[in-house]
Amino acid sequence: MATYRYSKSQELFRRAAGVIPGGIYGHFSPAPLVPPSAYPFYTARAEGSRFWDVDGNVFIDYMCAYGPMVMGYGAAHVEEAAAAQRRLGDSTTGAAPVMVELAELLVDIMPAADWAFFAKNGADVTNFAVMIARDATGRDKIVMIDGGYHGTAGWMQAPGHHGVSEEDQRHVVRIPWNDVPAFEAVLDQYPGDVAGFIATPYHIPTFADSQMPADGYWEKIQALCRRHNVVLIVDDIRHGFRLDMAGSSAYFGFTPDLTCLCKAMANGYPISALVGCEALKSTAARVFHTGSYWFQAVPMAAARANLVKMGEINAPQVMLTRGALLLDAMVNIARGYGYELKVTGVPSMPYVRITNDESLMLHQDWCAECTRRGAYFTPHHNWFISAAHTDADIQRTLEIVDEAFKAVRAKYGSAFQS
Amino acid sequence: MIESLVKANLNLYAVLRNLPLLVKSDPVAAKTVAQWRIGIQFVVWRGPAATLVFEDGTCVFERGRHGNTEVVFGFITPAHFNRMMDGKGTPVPLKGFRHLGFMRNEFPKIADRLAFFLKPTDAKLADPHYLAVNTRLTLATAVFAARELALFDPTCRQVAGRIRDGAVLLKILPDGPSAHLIFEGGEVTAGLGDVQRPMARIDFRDQATANAFLNGRLDPFTAIASGEVAIRGQTPMIDNLSLIFDRIPGYLG
Ligand SMILES: Cc1ncc(COP(=O)(O)O)c(C=O)c1O
Repeated sequence: MATYRYSKSQELFRRAAGVIPGGIYGHFSPAPLVPPSAYPFYTARAEGSRFWDVDGNVFIDYMCAYGPMVMGYGAAHVEEAAAAQRRLGDSTTGAAPVMVELAELLVDIMPAADWAFFAKNGADVTNFAVMIARDATGRDKIVMIDGGYHGTAGWMQAPGHHGVSEEDQRHVVRIPWNDVPAFEAVLDQYPGDVAGFIATPYHIPTFADSQMPADGYWEKIQALCRRHNVVLIVDDIRHGFRLDMAGSSAYFGFTPDLTCLCKAMANGYPISALVGCEALKSTAARVFHTGSYWFQAVPMAAARANLVKMGEINAPQVMLTRGALLLDAMVNIARGYGYELKVTGVPSMPYVRITNDESLMLHQDWCAECTRRGAYFTPHHNWFISAAHTDADIQRTLEIVDEAFKAVRAKYGSAFQS
Repeated sequence: MIESLVKANLNLYAVLRNLPLLVKSDPVAAKTVAQWRIGIQFVVWRGPAATLVFEDGTCVFERGRHGNTEVVFGFITPAHFNRMMDGKGTPVPLKGFRHLGFMRNEFPKIADRLAFFLKPTDAKLADPHYLAVNTRLTLATAVFAARELALFDPTCRQVAGRIRDGAVLLKILPDGPSAHLIFEGGEVTAGLGDVQRPMARIDFRDQATANAFLNGRLDPFTAIASGEVAIRGQTPMIDNLSLIFDRIPGYLG
């Protein structure tokens, strides 16, 4: 099996470094890809479950654009709806009718949604949710989970990060995941001052195993929020429509006051949404929050078509099943080479890690070997499996996985063998 | 207040502590101290203290007060000590008046040599010897300063709280110099040289790269992406450590 080279990616990066801060910034930064030389930096085109880099290498994509791709790049049902709307108008004066249709659809499919508000990015709506919680309660404190990610605004980042002031952090209280007594302690410590609790449906720290909610966790958090009039916010930006079309809270059996949605909504078209309960609708109306492109009609049409189609085929179930098929086989292959592959999170967005080497260097090498052969695996972040990943993709991926294990076994010999 | 205390810790435990390394790395420094036979203590009231001993051409630095040295310098506040380190204040000799001449005329020679190597300019860095010594000293300053900040700077303490247990190795390829930090149960130890099985490592392609990186003349993100600087292992340790490194110039810049 040939391994890839990336001379054109590297060349473009050199140009980028001259004119773009960091060359490539944010979550696409090559820094956590170890070593970066094993990874493509620039994508020329994408189709279905695959993308082609600027050097002509093809990858089965297990990052799915870090979440937005759910039904395959260029999926016909989305592209046709988008094209039809584009012919009518996209960024126009006045909202397009499709905005109402999309809101009605979300209210229809999600038990926790009595209304919907649209923006572009995830952080637009996590920010909005927090503003609504503060306005509705007249309180300041926001409780979030240690290691939780809700975007890059000052309050969302961990203390000590560049550009974040102490003021930004003043009203943020961080507690560990799955720790109900810690939440109770915060409610005791700040009586009548906790506005909102925000967390993802299950915990997805980077570089670490995902953690499911403990039995009764959400039930207890919900009960505490209700008792203390704290707004319960679910950040369903990454999980949303990957676990359940009714929202991840339905999957885990609870009802948040506000739900933040984004990545899987429109198969890559830029749109996010905040949906919420009736009681917060007028607050949402009076908290001013908007953006230049938030009324773009094409992403709304794309989202509507995509969500309808996902519902028809029960896409979350398709992804969960495909993911499980792939991951079970991978775990077995790993064992054959004396490595333990630990999978956490749901199979459609698994965090995968070789446990034999706690430093992750072995795991990083293995991910790099897979990527060099065409299965794009990152070592630091959960992966994504889409409804467009085919049996043939899975078969091919398993061949690559096997070869990559052979390569790391050859490099490390019997070190780290369980 | 806390800021000048942290700065005093850095000045003593991360800057002055590099004198032994300077003496080992620079023939001029070695020649300067060749005949010295003297122990000096630096004692900051309600602050850091250290003992420097020059003997037989070597220099040994130890945290805290050790033995009965010829000279003891007292500083009434951390700020007082920091002023001396900035070349603006004079210490109060608590002991060793006999050696005042030495302290006034001889000791500044080595202190100045250290300052010379810690204040790089393009012209100075063009000299290979300067580049080598500056790199060594800057690497050492970085790890020793990071330890102090991780334990005593309020923001860095929060950042360090997110660093898991284990060692982080910083190494200039192919064979050093290297330095490391070990995080264990809330304790932080900094040291020179390699460590076995680090949890995370930063490898610099060569000395020039390390020098540019450590002196803030190289964008870290670009350098990592292009492979000039390689990070491996538990990279969140490195992400958080770099937030601490980034605060060093705020104290010593
Ligand atoms: C759980 C979660 N919340 C919030 C965000 C922020 O979304 P965005 O980057 O679109 O602002 C992300 C993005 O990765 C996310 O995964």
